[in-house]
Amino acid sequence: MSDPRLGRLADVVVGYSTGVQPGDVVRIDGNRPSTPLIREIYRAAVRAGGHPSAELLIDETAEDLLREGSDAQLDWVPFDVPWNAEHGDVWITIDAPQNTKYLSGIDPARMARRVKGREAYQAQILERFARGEFRWVLCGFPTEASAQDAGMSLSQFEELVYRAAFLDAEDPVGAWQEFGNRLERIGSLLDSASELRVVGEDTDLTLGVEGRSWIRSNGIANLPDGEVFTGPVETSVEGTIRFSFPAMVRGRSADGVVLRFEAGEVVEATARRGEEFLRHMIGIDDGARRVGEFAFGLNDEVQDYTGSLLLDEKMGGTIHLALGRSIPQTGGENASALHWDMVCDLRRGGEVYADGELIYRDGAFLNGAG
Amino acid sequence: MRDPRVEKLADLITGYALGLGEGHAFRIDGEESAIPLIASMYRFALSRGALPYTHVRPAGVEEILLAEGNNEQLAYIPESERQQSEQLDAWATIWSESNTRAMTRADPERRKRQLAAHYRMVNRRWGRISAGELTWCGTLFPTEAHAQDAEMSLAEYEDFVYGACHVRPDDDPIAHWESTSAELAARARQLETVRELRIVGPGTDLRVVVEGRPWLPSDGRHNMPDGEVFTSPVETGTEGDIYFAFPSIFQGREVEDVRLRFSEGRVVHAEASSGEDYLRALIATDEGSSVLGEVAFGLNYEIDRFTRNILFDEKIGGTMHVALGGGFSEAGTQNISDLHWDLICDLRENGEVYADGALVWKAGAFVAEAAVEHV
Repeated sequence: MSDPRLGRLADVVVGYSTGVQPGDVVRIDGNRPSTPLIREIYRAAVRAGGHPSAELLIDETAEDLLREGSDAQLDWVPFDVPWNAEHGDVWITIDAPQNTKYLSGIDPARMARRVKGREAYQAQILERFARGEFRWVLCGFPTEASAQDAGMSLSQFEELVYRAAFLDAEDPVGAWQEFGNRLERIGSLLDSASELRVVGEDTDLTLGVEGRSWIRSNGIANLPDGEVFTGPVETSVEGTIRFSFPAMVRGRSADGVVLRFEAGEVVEATARRGEEFLRHMIGIDDGARRVGEFAFGLNDEVQDYTGSLLLDEKMGGTIHLALGRSIPQTGGENASALHWDMVCDLRRGGEVYADGELIYRDGAFLNGAG
Repeated sequence: MRDPRVEKLADLITGYALGLGEGHAFRIDGEESAIPLIASMYRFALSRGALPYTHVRPAGVEEILLAEGNNEQLAYIPESERQQSEQLDAWATIWSESNTRAMTRADPERRKRQLAAHYRMVNRRWGRISAGELTWCGTLFPTEAHAQDAEMSLAEYEDFVYGACHVRPDDDPIAHWESTSAELAARARQLETVRELRIVGPGTDLRVVVEGRPWLPSDGRHNMPDGEVFTSPVETGTEGDIYFAFPSIFQGREVEDVRLRFSEGRVVHAEASSGEDYLRALIATDEGSSVLGEVAFGLNYEIDRFTRNILFDEKIGGTMHVALGGGFSEAGTQNISDLHWDLICDLRENGEVYADGALVWKAGAFVAEAAVEHV
């Protein structure tokens, strides 16, 4: 029997996150273990009157291309990618790794080359998303591989993911809408700030956010979700930040990362582990040295580091920033092939000041804002 | 460990069948159960300099649309699919069902609606294949479901499939298919001199007029395995009786002991020991569905038994098959239909075929070899 939670998750994804309408062209894809969830999402999309198509993404072929492909092969983009970016209505992509480390042995330069070929389509999708012409969601699906990274059993990890997606609520969609009210209070507090200062262990960082929009992320583009984010003014970031958890991107990670910024650019980058990889990624293009995103994680169902970014960056009491590409609807203008999120835990002694005023301490907003 | 037969099959299809080369845009379609073959074809395509990508269907998705979709959803063909049909240089389709009967209980009217839309796109694709703009090959990856239909274990079925494709460890697949191709071409040229075939066997005495119709060799370029020569008969020329000892299957449903009587090209009587209603419904599909669109000789002698899969059954060495419904434009057909139903007639024990009165086939084989022209 299929897990009844999958049907509930599919209802949230199709009915709320992407709001599939009759006639919508809906692309559903995911890694190989995601078939049971794809089936439920496909069914929900058919019932909503959409035209779904479903596809599995195969690790074996991705690995072969990255390992053995010529430059022409790495650069080439299959015909359905530009079509989806230009004409698709809805794209539901499921993160269901069968092995989170399968690309660990791949040359990052080759990986960057492949990403580069698709950058324009990625940008087009983000722009159409920002204009409301395209709906996109990344949905987590618990697998043995991600449970293993989180140091728990599959059924424990399933509990965590589904709780964080509010599937335990009587009415999960209602729970997301209600949660949206909390994000709105936090968002409107931040809307009036022009400069933020983050203070914590080995951390004292200032960012200009004047004129930028704070996006209340409540189950629309990610599931689970729960963050408020913006794109800071590109030249404004100053100071030092130490990240609490391993920073993972493209199947690799750097641990104990400390970054120092001057005039918006990384001028010093160190890591306890993976420092060479960190330096390589920061060097892939000009935008990779700048901050494309700054965010508060606000989902209190996530308390511990899991190694799954989709969960970790939402962890209540943390902030994260991303090196590289900004998200267009924030007003951020940083362009890069990279978007690398790194999470900093502020639950023990962390503080955030908005234009000099303390608004956040020990992982929580003050004065009932959140 | 990778099965070396899968590697050989992938090499054969990407090379011999599809002729992949530098810069060819190549799409591989299959269900998730076929991933070992999909991944292997992808790897060979990369090594040939092609630009491969995959469309891997999750199992159990298509039947949801069939069960729950409205008419518009059933008939919908994504615009991107249409465009890819125009843009691709090569295309492989891998059949590998997790359950061959998943669609069997669906409403036939709904299934018909879905297939009709699908066929329109497939026909467009065949237009590009015939024009030499696109290469296409369909093959099968063995699954438990197919093995079960064939009444074998998966290991036995794998031996059967890879044997029929000539990709066993000691086989030289390319040499085999190249020589088969020459033999089938010679046989086709010989059959093109024939005006009328008379097929005689148990319960069978059927005359089929083939005058003026091109015979085509199926030599592993569009199907793997392969091994038949076929044409589309003259629409008004079929006369007499034919009996099909193997179950006749369409869309997963079986009809047993089919007997057909033809007069002036059309079925005038049809009976079966089971599934007779379904048989009559299929024959009544449209104007063209009571007329033969194909007559063919099955010539792959590695395929020595019925396995409930048309990719193999129609090529069983020593059988003939005819298809009710639409014929092939390259074989000069005038018959148009939404149906194309292959029915297989076992001629291996007592069968005889006469070409304009001369015995050309006895007990499952041509009595004389066709002269192969070496070029």
